[in-house]
Amino acid sequence: MSSQFVRLAAAAAASTLAFGFAAVCNAQETPGAATTTARPMSASLAPVTQAMLDGAGKDSKNWLHPNGSYEQTRYYTGNQINAKNVGKLKPAFVFQTAVLESMETAPIVDNGVMFLTTSFNHVYAINAATGEEYWHYKHKLGPIVTVCCGNNNRGVAISEGKLYMGTIDAKLVALDAKTGKLLWEVQIADPDKGYSETMAPAVVDGKVLIGTNGGEYGVRGFVKAFDANDGKLLWTFYSIPDKGHEGVWAKNDATGRDMHRNIEAEKAAFAKDSSFYQTLGGGVWMTPAIDRKTKTVFFVAGNPSPDLYGAIRPGDNLYTNSMVAIDLDKGTYKWHFQYIAHDVWDLDAVSPPILTQAKDKDGKMVDVVIHGGKTGHIYVHERNTGKLIRFSEAMIPQENMWVLPTKEGARMLPGANGGVEWSPMAVNSTLRLAYAANLHQPMTYHVEEVPYPGGKLWLGGAFKTIPSEEQWGRLVAVNLDTGKVAWGVKTPQPLIGGVLATSDLVFNGEANGWFKAYDAKTGKELWKYNCGAGVNAPAVSYMVGGKQYVAVAAGGNNQIDAKRGNSVFVFALP
Amino acid sequence: MTGMFKFALAVAMVVMAFSAYAQLNAAQMAAARAKAQPCAACHGPDGNSQNPDYPILAGQTWRYIYVQLKDFQEGRRSDPQMSPMAMGLSRDDMIALGNFFAAQKPLPIKFQADSAKVEAGRKISEAVLCPMCHLGGYVGQNEIPRVAGQWPKYVKKQLEDFKARRRTNDAGNMTSVAGTLSDADIENLSQYIGNLN
Repeated sequence: MSSQFVRLAAAAAASTLAFGFAAVCNAQETPGAATTTARPMSASLAPVTQAMLDGAGKDSKNWLHPNGSYEQTRYYTGNQINAKNVGKLKPAFVFQTAVLESMETAPIVDNGVMFLTTSFNHVYAINAATGEEYWHYKHKLGPIVTVCCGNNNRGVAISEGKLYMGTIDAKLVALDAKTGKLLWEVQIADPDKGYSETMAPAVVDGKVLIGTNGGEYGVRGFVKAFDANDGKLLWTFYSIPDKGHEGVWAKNDATGRDMHRNIEAEKAAFAKDSSFYQTLGGGVWMTPAIDRKTKTVFFVAGNPSPDLYGAIRPGDNLYTNSMVAIDLDKGTYKWHFQYIAHDVWDLDAVSPPILTQAKDKDGKMVDVVIHGGKTGHIYVHERNTGKLIRFSEAMIPQENMWVLPTKEGARMLPGANGGVEWSPMAVNSTLRLAYAANLHQPMTYHVEEVPYPGGKLWLGGAFKTIPSEEQWGRLVAVNLDTGKVAWGVKTPQPLIGGVLATSDLVFNGEANGWFKAYDAKTGKELWKYNCGAGVNAPAVSYMVGGKQYVAVAAGGNNQIDAKRGNSVFVFALP
Repeated sequence: MTGMFKFALAVAMVVMAFSAYAQLNAAQMAAARAKAQPCAACHGPDGNSQNPDYPILAGQTWRYIYVQLKDFQEGRRSDPQMSPMAMGLSRDDMIALGNFFAAQKPLPIKFQADSAKVEAGRKISEAVLCPMCHLGGYVGQNEIPRVAGQWPKYVKKQLEDFKARRRTNDAGNMTSVAGTLSDADIENLSQYIGNLN
């Protein structure tokens, strides 16, 4: 009864989201145990050690991190499924969840057991070769949930015998991987002030790292580290420093274009009041990359609050719209690089950073960290210093940058969703290519003077899509060493979800239900399958019993209103 | 102009699709009823105000009541009578009060509607897209209030206050909408909304 009840509530909420209005649903809190067990867990499930997590990038059996490894390249080393035979790929099974709403989950696979999540923080453990369910966990939500863009979840982190998930009521929960039973939960921040969690955490050296959503509510962003055993808070790094957030009063963006700031007026306003750092935003809402050698955490920080009304928050608004490197053990600052100072377009830095190598300006191969921006550029940084080596050609049209928002609305491309939204990129270092899922959504930017509204949505204006202008997506391969676009494939709808790369293939999904495989070198389409609902989640790959599988969620997407579904599709060769 | 906030409001609605998590059991409801005792003097028994100056709270969304109480307490909304009433409340109190009034049945108000004004109000409500947030039937959702059957005098005052920026705790949405309304529009809308029983 309780599970049916939650389903009903979820379905009701889902339909309200889909149609853009809400009905009042009389849900009750789920009483009793939140976990149901369909069958005993597979005996093959083994604890995931730190050595396995460290070696995950070369592990073709398991998929242990949301983005494949601490480097987050989303590159799968197995090649049983390849460019020669991918045309024969068929569904092996479809796993249907009980929640019909946006799916953004990156399934984790450990020794033939898959852990996947849905909107509203359900978790399932299933057999990764047959789809049979082991258990189903439903997080018991608190009274207050504040989310801007859907009740999404992007997956769990795994370590030893535990799973970790952030929840939309801003908690971190630890589950027993074997049973799905709740081991502990901690409140990360106050949902009443706009904090919520949708990202998959990272777990390393006994620490669980997690940031926060809330850049549309006037939060103060952070990355926190919790003890993986008991949830005790170990350190907090605020993505908004209490001093120095005014920065260097940058006139230009990272690519050298004038952002048309009125710096004199900003300085005068800042002299009067600089106390707004508590509500300055800077959410960190995608999984960080971790350099194990240097014990460094790399994350990107989101937009300042309020999104469009900049006069109320003078200064560069550090570290919003920046790549930031901090120390893994202590959570202390190493370096930052800001892409857009004093952003008034919500063009935040969000797609997860990737650690790889690229040629520097002298042609020498060096360690780099890269980020795909909502601006449509891929930025390549020296990993130790953050220095920008290059930025790629624009992957989507840019027009009228950086026109300031007006009351009546000013048109600029890209629109506020990008470029590259939260969608994780993938890297094939042999081919020297980074793959990015882009969108093109022309918008007008409107500003409205609005004081801090106390935990309510705080855009300080509006973004408005332009109905007469076509929207589309573009999957783009960019050369890491030159920044040139190697190939690009236009898709009929904006792309949100993320990319998977193998030695000679690239997998990517679309809002119209198509899940496609492309030739990694040329972008030629080699295979496609229609999942019947938006494929707006990143694919993963793994092996069970010597057979390779590719899995992807098809649950649609709230943000671009792609058709909702409730399933994970798993493909294999016949 | 009216379509300008479409996206912001659409996003806001997503926030609001979650009315559902704070519900009270019988014992909690009895406790909430006791907490609501001081409200009855102005807002009437069970939140059905008999005085056109004071809003009906019966059937209001719990989250709207909660958010308004919080705003009174934290100074984002102020009123000589309500601000002190909200001062001593805990978060749980405010959640309980919201849920208590949300669970009460709103009764029709007694007022003489002017049919010409009601019709003019209906037209303007469609032009400025009120139902996009307040929903068809004006039953509200989450932090967007139910306004159907609300006292016209109270609705009129709120719209005037939004327009004049005397009330600014709405994150700008109502300010922008009210800025497009004439005095006659406000009068007509108030009649139309009050007449929706």
